[in-house]
Amino acid sequence: MATVSFKNIQKAYGAVKVIHGIGFDIADGEFVVLVGPSGCGKSTLLRMLAGLEEISGGEILIDDKVVNDLESKDRDIAMVFQSYALYPHMTVRENMAFSLRLRKADANTTAQRVDNAARILNLDALLDRYPRELSGGQRQRVAMGRAIVRDPKVFLFDEPLSNLDAKLRVAMRAEIKALHQRLKTTTVYVTHDQIEAMTMADRIVVMHDGIIEQIGTPLELFDRPGNLFVAQFIGSPSMNVFEGVVKGDAVEALGHRWPVAAGTGRDGQAVHYGIRPTDLVLANSGIPAQVVVVEPTGAETELLLQIGAQQLVLVTHGRTAAQPGDTVHLSLDAVKAHVFDRASGARLG
Amino acid sequence: MKKKAIINEAQLLLIGIPVLLWTLIPVYHMVLFAISPRDTATSGRLWPKSPTLDNFQVVFQQKHLYLQHFWQQLGNSLLIAVAVGLITLFVATCAAFAISRLKVRGGRTVMNLALFTYFIPAAFLAVPMYKTMANYGLLNSKWSLVLAMVTIASPYCIWVLKQASDKLPWELDEAARMDGATPLQLFRLVYVPLMVPSLVAVGTYSLLLAWNEYLYGFLLLSKETDLTLAVALGNFLGADDSPWELLMATGVVYALPPAAIYYAFKRYMVSGLTAGAVKS
Repeated sequence: MATVSFKNIQKAYGAVKVIHGIGFDIADGEFVVLVGPSGCGKSTLLRMLAGLEEISGGEILIDDKVVNDLESKDRDIAMVFQSYALYPHMTVRENMAFSLRLRKADANTTAQRVDNAARILNLDALLDRYPRELSGGQRQRVAMGRAIVRDPKVFLFDEPLSNLDAKLRVAMRAEIKALHQRLKTTTVYVTHDQIEAMTMADRIVVMHDGIIEQIGTPLELFDRPGNLFVAQFIGSPSMNVFEGVVKGDAVEALGHRWPVAAGTGRDGQAVHYGIRPTDLVLANSGIPAQVVVVEPTGAETELLLQIGAQQLVLVTHGRTAAQPGDTVHLSLDAVKAHVFDRASGARLG
Repeated sequence: MKKKAIINEAQLLLIGIPVLLWTLIPVYHMVLFAISPRDTATSGRLWPKSPTLDNFQVVFQQKHLYLQHFWQQLGNSLLIAVAVGLITLFVATCAAFAISRLKVRGGRTVMNLALFTYFIPAAFLAVPMYKTMANYGLLNSKWSLVLAMVTIASPYCIWVLKQASDKLPWELDEAARMDGATPLQLFRLVYVPLMVPSLVAVGTYSLLLAWNEYLYGFLLLSKETDLTLAVALGNFLGADDSPWELLMATGVVYALPPAAIYYAFKRYMVSGLTAGAVKS
């Protein structure tokens, strides 16, 4: 159990700066997800915390102790790698016991902790197998077991689910979350998949080009994205965004007036107008749009709509009679609209 | 289509048969001489009239002037070959680990120098090597041959092992480091076990290189009891009337260990020496 703090962290490879002064705190027992497109610096940040990458500037603290100059092994953290990184020549048991063996723990303690971790992860029957004899999901669990056995202050996960197929990924997601609820160990989890981030995190750190775009709980990020990048990154299908100009209580765009909350922006301001697919509602009157594609998924129906040259996605619960080529009308709630300044991308209102 | 396949097959046979004969005829000759009585060895028959194993008896009982130290020399060959295999393995493994996994400074230079040594034939270095050994007072000592062979075998072995090491996933090192392994523990508990196939291949290569060496053995060793069997075999030809049947019988004995080693480790040899040959 531990807190983690990043203070003005920077990372440069030669002259190329990849992380530009990042700072935030992680509370004891918190599950924090670093999310962002590839190349945003999230893995680098995690690896700096792990001690696998040199820190070019700033400080990382674990339990209020600066760890910049500590070796990985002395930081008391455990990491689960994307490729699992299991030792191929050792059995599951030996893999899990390896760190204890290096610490010269006595045989009883080792056996007890390995058995305990194996029970938590349902690996009891596999302890004497080699990694090559395991499926992807089982290997993933062994990698987690290896971390649990250590009983570390902080768990690090580096895109642990990206090598698994879609179904298994959902199952493992739940398993990792359950594991965290059980062990309550401070966890830092890196992913590029915003659904993973949304479903697992206590708090999400959205990164882009080596800076933090926004930090918040999953629903905060979803409901009030701080800027255009976060608005488009979080949520699936992603938010509809198009350009417009503020005029009174609306944004004029695509030849229509789109409602916004009173006092958003000033008259004549150039903005991006954003509305989530689930916040567009089919109505008898309102903004007309042409249906291009209808995608029923059973519980929901996804409509691809066209207004002028702009395509919009609408998700409606249940079924709809709309057919491709039909004209439908959209109504929307002013408080559900997201408006961003066109120059800076910052949220208005 | 069928015709094409036949032509293809014929072309392969056209190449394959001469290569097979080229390889087998010397071996056949060696065996033929080894089992012929002295007076019929050069009779020109394809198979001796009365094949005999007497030659081997003479060899094993050291009952000839040239064979007085046969067992001793066989032992020398074995000792030197095994020593060269082990020392080269140690040197090359440590170098490959340091360069490939620990990324020590100057690693690239070492690799380039190792590659550069290929351009110089070993024979060119024979005289300088002789002088060096003389300077260190190692002439006539088995160590001189061992050290010379280690010098010649190491660059290639370092190169092969470095290429093979580069293929091990980097995350394994990182995982081990996070698990608390020191570089030495990483080497012993993770690196070496995973490198076994390549290590066997490289060890066998250097062992056979030393076993087969003639020139350096001839130069660096001179006392009868220090010679390797390869050099001793060469000495058979020093007389006007060489005992060919004994020479060949000894040759058969000399050829058996490499054949056995190659057979035992061929699985590793092929996969190990080609591992890292191409970037996959």
